[in-house]
Amino acid sequence: MAKVKVATTWLDCCAGCHMSFLDLDEALIGLLEAIEITASPITDIKEFPPVDVGIIEGAIGNAHDEEVAKKLRANCKILMVWGDCACFGGICAMRNLFTKEAVLRRYYLESESTKNGKIPSSEDIPPLLERVKPVNQVVKVDCYVPGCPPSAKAIHYALAELLEGRIPVLPSEIMRFD
Amino acid sequence: MKEITLTINDAQVRGKEGDTVLEICKANGIDVPTLCHLEGLSDVGACRMCVVEIGGERRPVPSCTYPARDGLVVKTSTEQLERYRRQILELLFTERNHFCMFCEQSGDCELQKLAYRYQMDNVRYPYTFPSLPVDPLSDYMVIDHNRCVLCGRCVRVCSEIAASHTLDFGRRGWRTLVSADLQQPLSESSCTSCGACVQACPTGAIFSKLSLYKGKTSECQRITTVCPLCSVGCQLDVLVKDNNIVRIEAPRLTELTGPLCRMGRFELLRETRPRVTSPMVRGKQGELEECSWDRALDAIVKRARRAKDGFAGIISARLPNETLSLFNKLIHEVIGSDSIDTLGGWSYRIIAEGVRQFQNGQEGSEIECPMGEILEADCILVAGADPDRTHPIIGTLVRRAVSQRKAKLIVVDPSKDVFPFWTDLWLKPVAGSEGFVLNGLAKILLDKGLVASGKAKPELTRSLSQYKPGEVNRATGIEIADLELAAEMYGRAKHGVIIYGEGLLEKNDPSLVASLLNLANLTGNGVGNRLRVISLKPSANSRGGWELGLATRDIKRDRLKGLYLLLGDEDVDGELLEWLKGIDFLVVQASYHSPATSIADVVLPSPTWAEREGKYINMDGLLLQLKRVLQPKDGMLQDQEILIELSKKLGHELSPS
Repeated sequence: MAKVKVATTWLDCCAGCHMSFLDLDEALIGLLEAIEITASPITDIKEFPPVDVGIIEGAIGNAHDEEVAKKLRANCKILMVWGDCACFGGICAMRNLFTKEAVLRRYYLESESTKNGKIPSSEDIPPLLERVKPVNQVVKVDCYVPGCPPSAKAIHYALAELLEGRIPVLPSEIMRFD
Repeated sequence: MKEITLTINDAQVRGKEGDTVLEICKANGIDVPTLCHLEGLSDVGACRMCVVEIGGERRPVPSCTYPARDGLVVKTSTEQLERYRRQILELLFTERNHFCMFCEQSGDCELQKLAYRYQMDNVRYPYTFPSLPVDPLSDYMVIDHNRCVLCGRCVRVCSEIAASHTLDFGRRGWRTLVSADLQQPLSESSCTSCGACVQACPTGAIFSKLSLYKGKTSECQRITTVCPLCSVGCQLDVLVKDNNIVRIEAPRLTELTGPLCRMGRFELLRETRPRVTSPMVRGKQGELEECSWDRALDAIVKRARRAKDGFAGIISARLPNETLSLFNKLIHEVIGSDSIDTLGGWSYRIIAEGVRQFQNGQEGSEIECPMGEILEADCILVAGADPDRTHPIIGTLVRRAVSQRKAKLIVVDPSKDVFPFWTDLWLKPVAGSEGFVLNGLAKILLDKGLVASGKAKPELTRSLSQYKPGEVNRATGIEIADLELAAEMYGRAKHGVIIYGEGLLEKNDPSLVASLLNLANLTGNGVGNRLRVISLKPSANSRGGWELGLATRDIKRDRLKGLYLLLGDEDVDGELLEWLKGIDFLVVQASYHSPATSIADVVLPSPTWAEREGKYINMDGLLLQLKRVLQPKDGMLQDQEILIELSKKLGHELSPS
């Protein structure tokens, strides 16, 4: 049987969900018999080929995140998201309590460790969105694995369900928001 | 109550008329999810999690406020209901800023548990991200409005159980905030810091500063014991993880002592005094030095043998009966001295003498009523007591009687209205003239005929004749009209309760107690043979000490050659400390270093309240069981083991009682 092609990416996040994925440890070996990881921070391949499953960690915080999410959505049949940031906005969305300007000012000009700071501006830097959004406010999402980060067990459960041809919904016992 | 039969989820169940559908579901083991409901509080249907379908109703109704009727057909779990519940959860999550990953309550949060139950892995609505304040200024708790779901459990517990009614809803609509008084910081509000709201809050919106991130309930062992801080004797659930106290809760929020108070819920966790960890004796250079148990006990033996009846013992009345009793035997039987007292024992002697005077020389029997009677009161007279400071649960009961039973509240105090905003009448006598007030009120009762038949004995009438209102006014400075008003309030009440304490006893005048008992007796509104009078005994086990005979007489100070002070957790006040300085040979057995240990000749380490076990007798005379919640460090001995060891060295075998 041909392997299921998977592409993953991380957007506005801390990489913790991908770390949790690597925490599958020896279970990864079995999993890699069934799936092929194409573009991913793990393989360091940036351009998404057409895949069966796309996976996003992280919220949508800037124009780049928005574009990558749309690209992956266009290249995958099923889009799964990992972690509280992708599912709900999570830690990243805490900046929504302030204006974009206030966040930039605080970070680049006013933070205690900053001297002669400057808010960077360049056309190479993607502009921040006014508000951080969970992924489903930008593209259609098919399944969610919340957690901060989700446990390796939760990630494994979700992937195993997909491989069985089912859209996973985490059972209450392994669902966590922390 | 009429019995009714309902059909719930196709099964016949019974209930009583007047029950809500939710109550009948719970009584029959039918699971209905709830959030704003809390057993013992009124129901308001704020959260809508408990919606059910009822035959004949056009739309789902909250079961917590829906009165059950005979023949109702109820469904608690249909596809539509489950969809609504999940939708409600999503709306709650978008309404405020819920970030579980760093919330102190994550793992204990009822909102989070419901979201797991309904497998809420995404939210279909845009988040509102409101900008909301946090109030971190109280010493004990934090209000974080970001995590509030406006269930109102804190508001209801504050008003119905803690009877402080500090919390309520401020502002309107989606701007609604739980607010202390008129949007004051909690620390500047009328909050008594009882922390009932902390226990009632289903989320991390109100949480304790003293339990922050110490552990989740599921990781803790729960041990029920008794609070050591006052004679009310509240039951405490102590949650322990890795031999550390995580949190203190009331076993049942809604029982008499349920709200607990700032002392039992919080102060017990704020201990910062350094522990005494080893026996110490004063060395040749005059400095205290750590030593073996043997050396410390031998030093005591040497002096105790020599001093005999010149050796006295004073023991904290926070220690359990078993320790009090052994200490009594050590001083009396082993050392052979009759000089023994408890800390605060003087107050017993004043009360006992007051009772004797009231009963014309007869020994006092049980003449006070239990504290639960406060809740039945229609008038409460607080004379020389500050319950909120010394016995906060009594303060709570008083407020409950005032707010829920419309009881009249009279305070007699020369310096302070101890229930500001709650008092109907504050009689402010010139300090030292309290006796005039009490006798003056009795005189007015007599003159107005507000006394029960047979109570106006001629000798009493005669002795009160000098307390005419004009005289009392001259002595106390209180307006005659106020005296008459107070007498009317108290005299016409059916269940008038008098509460007295420290402020009155401090006058060192047993006749004040007798006057107060006379006043209560005149109305004839007792509970059986008892008067509706409550004295606030100073310590958790004061009554144990009194009943075991440890506080019957003053220590003879003139021939004192040595003193064994078993302090436990307590400190001594300045006056006692000055007296201790003059004592030739001082043994202090204490949990913590203090000025008393620093002047001692021998210091012995004592366990803390959490490391002890035994029995207390609370102010109502109930025998309460203390349980050990923490294991003491290796090398520590229990107080009783120390007393037995010392007796052995003095040639007596004492057995623990």
